[in-house]
Amino acid sequence: MELLSGWWDDFFWGSVVVAQVFLASLVLMVIFGLIGAAAKLSGNRIVQKIANGYTVVFRGTPEILVILLLYFGSAITLTWISRLFNPDIKFVDVPPFWAGTVAIALIVGSYATETFRGAFLGVRPGSIEAAKALGMSGLQVFFYIRIPEMWRLALPPFGNHMLSLIKDTALISIIGLNETLFVAKQAIGTTGKPFTMYIVVGLIYLGFSTVITLTVMALERYGNHTVRAR
Amino acid sequence: MSFDLSLIVETVPKMLAGVGLTFQLLGLSAFLGLILAIVLLLMRISGKWYLDWPAQLYIYVFRGTPILVQIFIIYYGFPQLEFIRESVLWPIFRDPFGCAVVALSLNTGAYVSEILRGGVLGVDRGVLEAGEALGLSTTQRFIYLTTPIATRLALPAYGNDIISLLKSTALASTITLMDMTGIARTIVAQTYAPYEIFISLAIIYMILTFFLQKFISLIEAYLGRYTKRES
Repeated sequence: MELLSGWWDDFFWGSVVVAQVFLASLVLMVIFGLIGAAAKLSGNRIVQKIANGYTVVFRGTPEILVILLLYFGSAITLTWISRLFNPDIKFVDVPPFWAGTVAIALIVGSYATETFRGAFLGVRPGSIEAAKALGMSGLQVFFYIRIPEMWRLALPPFGNHMLSLIKDTALISIIGLNETLFVAKQAIGTTGKPFTMYIVVGLIYLGFSTVITLTVMALERYGNHTVRAR
Repeated sequence: MSFDLSLIVETVPKMLAGVGLTFQLLGLSAFLGLILAIVLLLMRISGKWYLDWPAQLYIYVFRGTPILVQIFIIYYGFPQLEFIRESVLWPIFRDPFGCAVVALSLNTGAYVSEILRGGVLGVDRGVLEAGEALGLSTTQRFIYLTTPIATRLALPAYGNDIISLLKSTALASTITLMDMTGIARTIVAQTYAPYEIFISLAIIYMILTFFLQKFISLIEAYLGRYTKRES
């Protein structure tokens, strides 16, 4: 333990970075998932094809490849664009934080697309008809019937998507984001204790996963409280 | 910015030279992971707390931490421990390939055992009761009734896990292994052409994923041949 003495604050700030990446990618992941699901459910053939392409590509490619491609690719593209305006610019870099966040959000968003689509289709037509028979307006049906039923169906897989996101944040250390794995690498450089340091990283991630799992369980209980009371 | 087609033609064969290593990693860890998963499954459904709890803890730890961290603990971390350096297993942990296979197997085993458990829990209780009425013992019921039905139920999810495993093999490139991703990263470092190389590699992985999926649905169709209704 005394081995870690100088490193607690570094690991703490590394964990803060993990949490930031997680929250930012969570928002983006929901947006990508909803857009993807809306596109797949739309009547437009071309839009459906594009959404299918999105899910096939991001579910069939290793995560690390997407991260590397987005990081190095965006740097090249941005450099090229900015040279059009100012030929003196040598190199434009994209912060690893954003390249990585967008990359993992795109990956997990492709899984969320299927979750949201399935949840939307899983709403029982009978519920909608009953609500309409009771004289609810379209908006009321959407908010009081569709959303609560979708929520219940989507929550368990959505919890898994959140766990994938938190675990994928570790991959962003490969492009130099100063999160916990990156901190561990520095700590190993001075202490020469790789096992200890990586175990600390593992415990930090286990903590994050536990918090997410417990939150999802609580949300599930809340989402199902009307269903159970029978 | 240009898209250099000749570079793709030149580098794709180089990357394909790593496909053998990718398949070795995939095949070995899928096999060892499945064995581990079956052991964990048996521990979980044994009904004995001293078998069930360790299995649950194992699954919780390995599903709750990133595979990259697991790979690093085994490859970079284990040499710190003296008893591992002196054990008979040291030749495995000294070798990046051995470490990658061990890490991938331990990781996929945790996921697959939960998938198998889902299959076992999905077996219709009526079938088991019928087996009991016919005088089959618990072991016989497990082998002749639960196993075939659970296999069929678990196969689609198992297929997805194999595809995840294929994608995880790319992480072996972080511990110096020259699989397809490792080769691609070396080429990008030399040529600085990430688009051409990473996109062609992504397409190679997608083709592999596609064939794996086809292969799994063939097995699914084969196992489900008795369940089809005649129209």
